[in-house]
Amino acid sequence: MTKRQDNAKSADLSGSDSEALKDTGSTLLRLVRRLKGQRIRLSIITASILIYTVLTIWAPLYSAQVVDMLWSSIQAARTQGLPFAITWHNMGSALTHLTVMYIGIWLFYYLQSYLMAVVAETLTLTLRKQISRKLSHLPLRFYDQNKAGEILSRVTSDLDKVSETLQTGLLKLIVAIGTVTGSLVVMFYFSVPLTCIFLASVFLSLLVTKAAATQNLKYASLRQESIGELTGIVEEYYTGRNVIKAYNHEQESLNQVTLAAEKNRIVSQKADFLTHCINPIIRLLTRLSHVVIAVIAGGAILNGTMSVGVVQAFFQYVNQTAEPLTEGAFMINSLQSALASVKRTFDFLDSPEERPDPLHPAELEHANGLVAFEHVSFGYEENQPLMKDISFRAQPGQKIAIVGSTGAGKTTLVNLLMRFYEVNDGTIMVDGVAASEMTRRGLRRNFGMVLQDTWLFGGTIAENIAYGKPQATREEIVAAAKAAKIDYLIRTMPKGYDTVLDNDAANLSVGQRQLLTIARVFLCDPPILILDEATSSVDTRTEMEIGRAMKKLMQGRTSFVIAHRLSTIRDADNILYMENGNIIEQGSHHALLKQKGAYANLYDSQFA
Amino acid sequence: MKLMFRFIKPHWKLCAVTMLMLIIDVTGGLYIPTLAAEMMNQGVLGSSFETLLNTGIKMAIGSLVAGLCAVIGGYTCATLTARIGKDMRVALYESSLKLSVHEFRQFGTASITTRTVSDITNIQTAFISFMQMVVPVPVICVIALALSFRLDTQIGIVLLIAVFIILLLAYFIIKSASPLFKRLQKLLDSMSTVLLENITGVRVIRAFNNELREQERLNVSFATYANTSIKANRKFANLDGLSFFCINFVIISVFWLSGGRIAAGHFQIGDITAVIEYAYLILFFIMMAQMVILTLPRALECCNRIQNVLDYSPEISDPASAQPINNEHSQSDVLVFQNVSFQFPDAEKDTLSNLNFTCRRGETTAIIGGTGSGKSTIASMILRFHDVTEGAILLSGRDIRGMRQEDLRNQLAYVQQKAMLFSGTIAENLRYGKPDATEEELLHAARVAQIDALIRSLPDGLNAFVAQGGTNFSGGQRQRLSIARALVKKPELYLFDDSFSALDFKTDAALRKALTPETKDAAVLIIAQRVSSIRHAQQIIVLNEGTIAGIGTHDQLMKSCSVYREIYESQTREVQNA
Repeated sequence: MTKRQDNAKSADLSGSDSEALKDTGSTLLRLVRRLKGQRIRLSIITASILIYTVLTIWAPLYSAQVVDMLWSSIQAARTQGLPFAITWHNMGSALTHLTVMYIGIWLFYYLQSYLMAVVAETLTLTLRKQISRKLSHLPLRFYDQNKAGEILSRVTSDLDKVSETLQTGLLKLIVAIGTVTGSLVVMFYFSVPLTCIFLASVFLSLLVTKAAATQNLKYASLRQESIGELTGIVEEYYTGRNVIKAYNHEQESLNQVTLAAEKNRIVSQKADFLTHCINPIIRLLTRLSHVVIAVIAGGAILNGTMSVGVVQAFFQYVNQTAEPLTEGAFMINSLQSALASVKRTFDFLDSPEERPDPLHPAELEHANGLVAFEHVSFGYEENQPLMKDISFRAQPGQKIAIVGSTGAGKTTLVNLLMRFYEVNDGTIMVDGVAASEMTRRGLRRNFGMVLQDTWLFGGTIAENIAYGKPQATREEIVAAAKAAKIDYLIRTMPKGYDTVLDNDAANLSVGQRQLLTIARVFLCDPPILILDEATSSVDTRTEMEIGRAMKKLMQGRTSFVIAHRLSTIRDADNILYMENGNIIEQGSHHALLKQKGAYANLYDSQFA
Repeated sequence: MKLMFRFIKPHWKLCAVTMLMLIIDVTGGLYIPTLAAEMMNQGVLGSSFETLLNTGIKMAIGSLVAGLCAVIGGYTCATLTARIGKDMRVALYESSLKLSVHEFRQFGTASITTRTVSDITNIQTAFISFMQMVVPVPVICVIALALSFRLDTQIGIVLLIAVFIILLLAYFIIKSASPLFKRLQKLLDSMSTVLLENITGVRVIRAFNNELREQERLNVSFATYANTSIKANRKFANLDGLSFFCINFVIISVFWLSGGRIAAGHFQIGDITAVIEYAYLILFFIMMAQMVILTLPRALECCNRIQNVLDYSPEISDPASAQPINNEHSQSDVLVFQNVSFQFPDAEKDTLSNLNFTCRRGETTAIIGGTGSGKSTIASMILRFHDVTEGAILLSGRDIRGMRQEDLRNQLAYVQQKAMLFSGTIAENLRYGKPDATEEELLHAARVAQIDALIRSLPDGLNAFVAQGGTNFSGGQRQRLSIARALVKKPELYLFDDSFSALDFKTDAALRKALTPETKDAAVLIIAQRVSSIRHAQQIIVLNEGTIAGIGTHDQLMKSCSVYREIYESQTREVQNA
């Protein structure tokens, strides 16, 4: 049963924001739970926000008093015919208080922004670390089913969005809620009609914003679409430019590109215009409301119902409230999409992991190399079995060749041998021990693998060779390189073994990369090998070198060779002929020829 | 910069209108608080409500004009940006067409695609923000200062000092933040690189039991990123707060100074509001501009990358006057290599040296050799993707450098190793070299190329859909389809560049058999790795390290040419021993 569960379809990464928002509550709760460790920081942030908000509301109120005080002292001085002078009593102390308030605003702004950055980055770092743990516990199936780019965006852009939203969006939102409520209270206290006028204009702006946002979204997606189309066309033309030139299709391709660029121009013009006309319109609405407020406030000053200071402060409140109010909708949107990102990250963390290793695993320090498939059945999809009841045996030191066209299932066999996938039925035995009873680590220690897809990582050549044995000495590394006949080449490089391979090892040819991976296996010295022969992307000479190195590597080891040329496998002890994921024939070269089956057919066609 | 001027130039009127509109909008933005202050003064001084209303109407008109201009400016700005983007894309693509194979490879497909699409999008975004956020800054500073000085010299000086300090702060922020930003970008990239390595190399990682080590490697890069990001944010938080404080300090100074100035009659109480508004507006614009400026280096980088392509002077161009080619099947020597040598511009040694051979009508010439022997370069030179450095290549007796590239390529049918199809239908692809080919011709070519069975099996037959790059077909199918495409063209010379490599031996054999009668009126040049695909050729040229190691038939070469024998044996060794 468990075997089947392991192979059950794992989570699909794709999914839209709206889908991800379905259970916002539980996602939020989970996120909050992860913030527990930062309780102290969060309390300081909360306190800071509180003080900051109070100060930002209080400062204009206080400045209103200052202006009124100023005005009344000036008038008092005038009526008394005395020259006006600023003293500690009439202005100095008040201005000092105001200065202190402003410094407070600055400091608390700094404090909360900085701490929030720490909180957000710490949170994303914890999530990222959990993701990196997850990556090594996911079944291979997950990697085969999801595109690398999608997994990547889970870890980088999604989490970046979360961190950014926490730092700017959330902080802004909380501060805005506080400031807006406080300011509105004071504004209503100053003048109910003026505040109502102000709110009406904000409401209008909101309507405009909302209407524009829907349009905006539409054009943004249209634009994205046309960009995609354009990318498709130019990518295709750049890849096929030799053909375009050879067939004299330059002008026509240029026309196509121009057409796609023109399409994109029209759409992006509209999209950009929409984005950039919302602000002026809102600004216009705000200004018009300012006019109305100014006229009424001016009248109120005339009547003496409002003081200059109050009107001046009222304008300050209008300024600090209008923007957060109109931006509120956007902020909530960005919070929602950040939450969707969080949800996707959690989904990723929740996707099923590999079956855990057995509690009391069988140990196999250095196998002799006896490998046996016993009635093995397997399928990538549960209801589509590929391999049915396969049995074969590889004695220590034997060479097993795997033959078949692309897609015949050679990779499947590697997947099963390395236990990248679990068999559905039957057992794979190594030295008489069932693979499933060992830890994966214990099993894989006995295997060495050289695939055509030569994976090298950004590091020095020495590090790459020592990948399976990080504690190897330089002598061991050089010896392995010599065995793989790559030592000479490495020495011709500017920094020898310390040459850094970057940019996907662009400075090495395919053949050289393969030799490096052979050196890697030499160093590990495993009893069982899985080898993938070089193909046409390597020239004949390098191919011969690789062949020689592989032959040397195979000495005294059980080896499974994925063969592309029939000429190299005639000496194999057993040939597995695969078709449609299944092994349909097996036996030695001569036995298979006598059988006059699929293998014999292929052989005849190649050497007829 | 040069690039931007070049592409703005054709639309300079639009650009001028945009700027004018933005300036009017900004001026309007300053005019409103000026009037509001006036109104407050009128209120304080006890003038009539009508005066107030008059000022109010002036304000409303001002707002409307400014708003209208802003919308128009937004429209022209969007139009301008979109046009520049389109022009750049077309110019870039056109320039790329002129590059030779070698030159193009210096850039690479991925890089040029990025340049054509996202680089230009980046430039557009940056340009539009620059126009909207950075261009108005000097205007707003100058006008606001002028208005303040008009109100009162002392207050003007305070504002001037504040603007100066804020500009200084902005400069400081940009200077210290841009390296941090660059570093963050780099860390983000390296985070992606390590991750991608982990994802693509998952099999190797697990085979070598290195999961924990990789986890550690990832965590280190994550942590570095987090720390740098915190540092950058801390800097910003501090400097932003300081900028705010600066403006607030202006308010305090205005309060402080205004007492004496108002009492002395130089200044009015409502003007305080105006000056505070000016200060806020200036701060707002400078802070926005500073954010835009921080993104500019990236856009400039994009500009440079595009400029590099546009400025590239291609090595190959058509001769000024070229004779048209008369297509007579007269000469039996279709293609002649005369002492041809070739060296890549950045190489020290010749890739090919002193090649002499002739491809004759009705004959198959084959070139064999390992990678690095230079055989693919031969095809490139015949197509004039590269020019010979010495000697000459003659097609129907004429030097190909004296022909227009179009005329030359009209006589060739080229099938490259990495078969490439274009999105559309199969028929469209097959007609690529001969737009007026009949369906009969297409089907015939398909039959020869051993792909007719596949076409028949598709529900839409010849009209079956081909995905971008032909990815909905297998490598072998793509290769056969591109062979069929070449056959439809009926050229003087067929050029098969390792075109049979993805075919299985059976298909390879059948195809070559069917090809012989098909190509009897033309010359055929096959470049190959596999001896089995060429052993029946009338003439085999063995290429070794750029020179001809032997010319002859299979049997002759087996006797006389050791390089050929070595290749042959490496491919069939065990068979011979059996």
